[in-house]
Amino acid sequence: MKTISSGLSRFIQYFSALLVVVLLGGCNLDTRMSTFVTKGPIAEEQLSLFMITVWVTFGIFIVVGGVYVVAIIKFRERPNDDRPMPSQGHGNPLVEIGLIGASVLLLVVIAVPTLKAIWFTHDTPDDPESRLGSWYGGEELAEEEADNPLIIKVIGYQWWWAFEYPQLGITTANEMVIPAGKVVHLELRSVDVIHSFWLPRIAGKVDLIPGRTNSMWIQAGDNFIKWKEKQGLEGEGPELRSNYASYLEEEIHNYYYGQCAEFCGDSHARMLFRATAVSDEEFEEWVIDERTGHGTPDGKSWDDWYAAYDKNPEQLTGDLNEGLKLFMSRAKCATCHVVKGNPRALGVAGPNLTNVGSRMSIAAGWLNHRNEEDGSIDAEQQYDNFFKWIHETDVVKPGNLMWKANGGGIGELIDENGDPDLLTEEEIHKISLYLQSLK
Amino acid sequence: MSQTETETHAPATTYAPKTHVLKPERSNLGALRPDHSKSVLIDWLTTVDHKKIGIMYGAIALFFLFVGGLEALIIRTQLIVPENDLISAQRYNQLFTMHGTTMIFLAVMPLNSAFFNYLIPLQIGARDVAFPRINALSLWTFVAGALVINFGWLLQALQMMGLFEASGATAGMTDMVPAGGWFGYAPLTSTDYTGVGTDFWIMGLQILGVASLTSSMNFIVTILNMRAPGMKMMRMPVFTWMSLVVAFLIVFAFPAITVALGQLLFDRTFGTNFFNVAGGGQPILWQHLFWIFGHPEVYILVLPAMGIISEVLPAFSKKPLFGYSIVIFSGAVIGFLGFAVWSHHMFTTGLGKVATAAFSLLTMAIAVPTGVKIFNWVGTLWGGRVRFSAPMIFSLGFVWMFMMGGFSGIMHAAAPADAQQQDSYFVIAHFHYVIMGGIFLALVSGIYYWVPKMFGKMWKGNLSTWVAVLVVVGLNVTFFPMHFLGLLGMPRRTHTYLEGFGWESYNLVCTIGSYILAIGILLLLVDLIRCLRSGEPAGDDPWDARTLEWATTSPPQVYNFAKTPIIPARDALWSHKYGPEGQKITYEDDHGHGIHMPSNSWMPLIASVGFIPLGLGMSLMQAGVPYMGYFAIFGLLTVGIGIALWAIEGPGGYHLHPEEDAA
Amino acid sequence: MSDTATATHDDGHAGLVIENKKLLMWLFLGSDCMFFGTLISTHLIYRKLYPEAYDPLTVYDLELTSFSTFILLMSSFLMALAVSAMHKGELKSFRRNTIGVIFFGLIFLACQVYEFAHFTNEGLTLSTNTFGSTFYLMTGTHGVHVAIGIFWLLCMYFYSYTGKMDAHESAVDVEVAGLYWHFVDIVWIVIFTAVYLIEYI
Repeated sequence: MKTISSGLSRFIQYFSALLVVVLLGGCNLDTRMSTFVTKGPIAEEQLSLFMITVWVTFGIFIVVGGVYVVAIIKFRERPNDDRPMPSQGHGNPLVEIGLIGASVLLLVVIAVPTLKAIWFTHDTPDDPESRLGSWYGGEELAEEEADNPLIIKVIGYQWWWAFEYPQLGITTANEMVIPAGKVVHLELRSVDVIHSFWLPRIAGKVDLIPGRTNSMWIQAGDNFIKWKEKQGLEGEGPELRSNYASYLEEEIHNYYYGQCAEFCGDSHARMLFRATAVSDEEFEEWVIDERTGHGTPDGKSWDDWYAAYDKNPEQLTGDLNEGLKLFMSRAKCATCHVVKGNPRALGVAGPNLTNVGSRMSIAAGWLNHRNEEDGSIDAEQQYDNFFKWIHETDVVKPGNLMWKANGGGIGELIDENGDPDLLTEEEIHKISLYLQSLK
Repeated sequence: MSQTETETHAPATTYAPKTHVLKPERSNLGALRPDHSKSVLIDWLTTVDHKKIGIMYGAIALFFLFVGGLEALIIRTQLIVPENDLISAQRYNQLFTMHGTTMIFLAVMPLNSAFFNYLIPLQIGARDVAFPRINALSLWTFVAGALVINFGWLLQALQMMGLFEASGATAGMTDMVPAGGWFGYAPLTSTDYTGVGTDFWIMGLQILGVASLTSSMNFIVTILNMRAPGMKMMRMPVFTWMSLVVAFLIVFAFPAITVALGQLLFDRTFGTNFFNVAGGGQPILWQHLFWIFGHPEVYILVLPAMGIISEVLPAFSKKPLFGYSIVIFSGAVIGFLGFAVWSHHMFTTGLGKVATAAFSLLTMAIAVPTGVKIFNWVGTLWGGRVRFSAPMIFSLGFVWMFMMGGFSGIMHAAAPADAQQQDSYFVIAHFHYVIMGGIFLALVSGIYYWVPKMFGKMWKGNLSTWVAVLVVVGLNVTFFPMHFLGLLGMPRRTHTYLEGFGWESYNLVCTIGSYILAIGILLLLVDLIRCLRSGEPAGDDPWDARTLEWATTSPPQVYNFAKTPIIPARDALWSHKYGPEGQKITYEDDHGHGIHMPSNSWMPLIASVGFIPLGLGMSLMQAGVPYMGYFAIFGLLTVGIGIALWAIEGPGGYHLHPEEDAA
Repeated sequence: MSDTATATHDDGHAGLVIENKKLLMWLFLGSDCMFFGTLISTHLIYRKLYPEAYDPLTVYDLELTSFSTFILLMSSFLMALAVSAMHKGELKSFRRNTIGVIFFGLIFLACQVYEFAHFTNEGLTLSTNTFGSTFYLMTGTHGVHVAIGIFWLLCMYFYSYTGKMDAHESAVDVEVAGLYWHFVDIVWIVIFTAVYLIEYI
């Protein structure tokens, strides 16, 4: 049989190389979950280490690959080749030792920054600029903790995220808010299977494992000291501070995308989350908002509202009241969800719905209603998303407990005869309007 | 003492004995041994001939390669656009689980076994392996395991048609096919979260483990004890050496997963708390045990491929392997260090600084012996005369693609960088480069190299060129963009993704690549069929090769060597053809004893078949099917009885006298 | 031919360091070592993590377990005698000692069964946190190994009456069974130390 010509084999090599170039050239690396355009010290450190490995391996590729290609071309059999048998050399110990030595050296080049990075990324540093004490001086926070980094507990469920801020007494779900430039210490655990918290532009991932608590720290953007260092500046002063604030505002304040990165069941692909990095002032506002919670749709006190609800629910009219009534009764939302302020919405099995109307996405980041251009909420899309979520929970998140949970899900509602009696479109319409109002 | 003779060639034609020695004889049980001359089917079902067993391993492995490939094509088609709904999330999760499990355990490992089985006795100058019936047991147990692990598809089809519903321990669950990933992390694999599919997975893998373990022990004894005179360890072909290392790896690594699977089985069936958090169990224990097996497993997959390359490159460069001793030593070091790096699969689980640092450094260390091999392969080419025959093209491709896969491995070794790469498409890119670009290309190289020996037929035409082009192009187009996909944040094991994350065009390219790859592999099958049906006779040594298996006919006689060869040097055939006078292969005189051949036997098949009710019984019990516990016990008893009868029937054996018949 | 040669005709020999069947058994035992090692490690890890999960001293009966350990050790001694007997071709002595091994093995198993029943009565089951799970799986697996050994020896005992066993044919086979039995015994020593005795420190 004929042998493949060396020309064709060379073509194969070059074609692959061409592909690489084409692919590299045609891509945008500044995307929502890119690890190439980092916005925090941890991701930055991880990227630098990665680039070291890229350069070292690229170097080896050029050298070894080069020798390889040269060998194939130079020592190929020619047509009608009648040269004598090549010398049957068995090896060269010196060459071996030299190459082993060179390999070890190159690995040391990678190993040293690796060790440094392991130590840097692992232990939560002190935060010289912590404003914890000023954000909240209530009972949950002891005085000696006033300068500690902010702590967020990340709790993984199939298929959503709870974010608790124990020092501040608030709990939210799926969209966390963090102050830019400040150390945030995360404590990660799961209540069911293993999940993984991955916010690529800010940090590499850490797993949430049931039965144990992992921890990591993240930070959106550099702190003041590091920022000065990078700019080559020194000292203090209002102008410096103002420039630093501009840096944070232009480059760091953003809506970051994250996703679960450990296979966790049917809807693993749909367990996304968000982290919004904001200024200190905005963060304080947000905390206050979360702590305040919601009032009744028509301004009554909750006691009055429930007095009416218990005795004469027909008195409570209007879409929002109707929606809230359904929330508390037939739709059974309150059995699994908390709405802060509402004394009877205390369910902990599902995401906390306080301020859910202010969130840019629902269903753990899967249904989006954010305007990319200005970061505002597209109200129509938001309504559609709420509607779709309640109407077809099982289609949006197959296997979801809100739809089917041993008789307790909204996909399992039955009437007195045991026949299916799901929420009607009109009912879902009202509930959606109510949820939209929670902001 | 035996006297050497000057005869140096095995007979040129296929031996057909004229004597009656193949008349079926009675075993110690009093029953007739299977008559391998009457029925081809019975001959193959009861054979203990390592060559036939090797061919069966190969054929079944190629079948499952296509099954796994089909699973991959469906996966890639689902991912071609965002929010595609070609298949459901559950189906997707089952497909990627089965794709991984099938490719690793039912395609690559058996393909490796095919080569072990066929080549090792020929390469060391033996007539068969040390325990021929155990060899047959390994094959049929593999088949049993493959059936058990895929049985869920049938059940799933029944479930979808409304004809079956799980009850009992997995009541309410609809997943009948394994869907926990090929790595089955706890607690997702508990009965709380997955259905009977996981039970099939557990039992199937346990059965496959028995097959691998028995096979490896057999090969270690064969290689250590049954080498021809003069075949010192340091004269053995590299492929046999790598097989020896792999066999030891299997013996010491498989128990870890056997225990892990056993513990998971007990959690699911008997309510133990090994991984059950509520009872005090630690899910991370599963990961440790799995990867203590899992990491040596990847070296079990790759070392045979490296052995094949180490045979093909010298043969087609007309030079010995550069640094033979060092290549073998590196293989052993890789095997040894392979046990020390398992937690690099767990860098994101919160191991702590010291453990992370230790595993990171050890993983980097293992790059050294791997690199040494690559250097030595390049050194083999240097100064040689490189022929671009079909086997060589694929081996050359291996060196290139495996190097690239090794580089992404080094990138993973840096643990903080790995925190971004882990569980993303970057990992998928890495291991497909080493498994497909590496192992698969080496196996194809081995197929092109040794098929003429195995079947006596030569390849026809130039289709191999097209196979090579399509496979290499397909591989690169499919898997190179995945490096970027991963670094742009796309997690793995996700059945779909949203628009707007910048992943659409990459996924499209990957899917197109997978179709190119599929066509290439189909062409390989076409080429193989053409060769087997109408290839020209290959002759004993069509490639002008170096090692002992080429000193037999093509295909070899059933007894391999008419007389036991006496080996003068490493690369025995080469030194026989081109070396000095004193370095020729000579043959022992057998003093008229003739050739002793092992008898066929039903017992390995009977014993293996018992694994099927055992596996299915234990699993279906979990689905609430009645009486399945008894079915499992029946299976276990069948295995036991098969083995007991096997022990009693005795090895038997018969004699062949090729020279008398030729006279 | 020496009795370390293969049972079938040799087809090639670069020098047998360890005879085929014995080498196979050694490899199997190496693998089984890893197997038991993993089971015992799991137990030890969970004991270290959760010492308060269960107090085994409430159910352990050290006298009984020491007795059964001693019985198993004695059975190994008898096994060595059986191997030696077969080497010399003394079939009667072989049978006596083999029955002794079987008998002692059965006593060991009986003690195990009694112990399991007693523990279960006291509330320690497979599902009792991690202690019950690791304890029963580990010692249960060992018990199954002993049972398989007993069955194997029983088969050998009855086979010895067929006239097909003698020093030439069967010395290796008995030695291989002996290796297995000794291994099972050694594993028990390790379990006894790491699971029972360790709790008393």
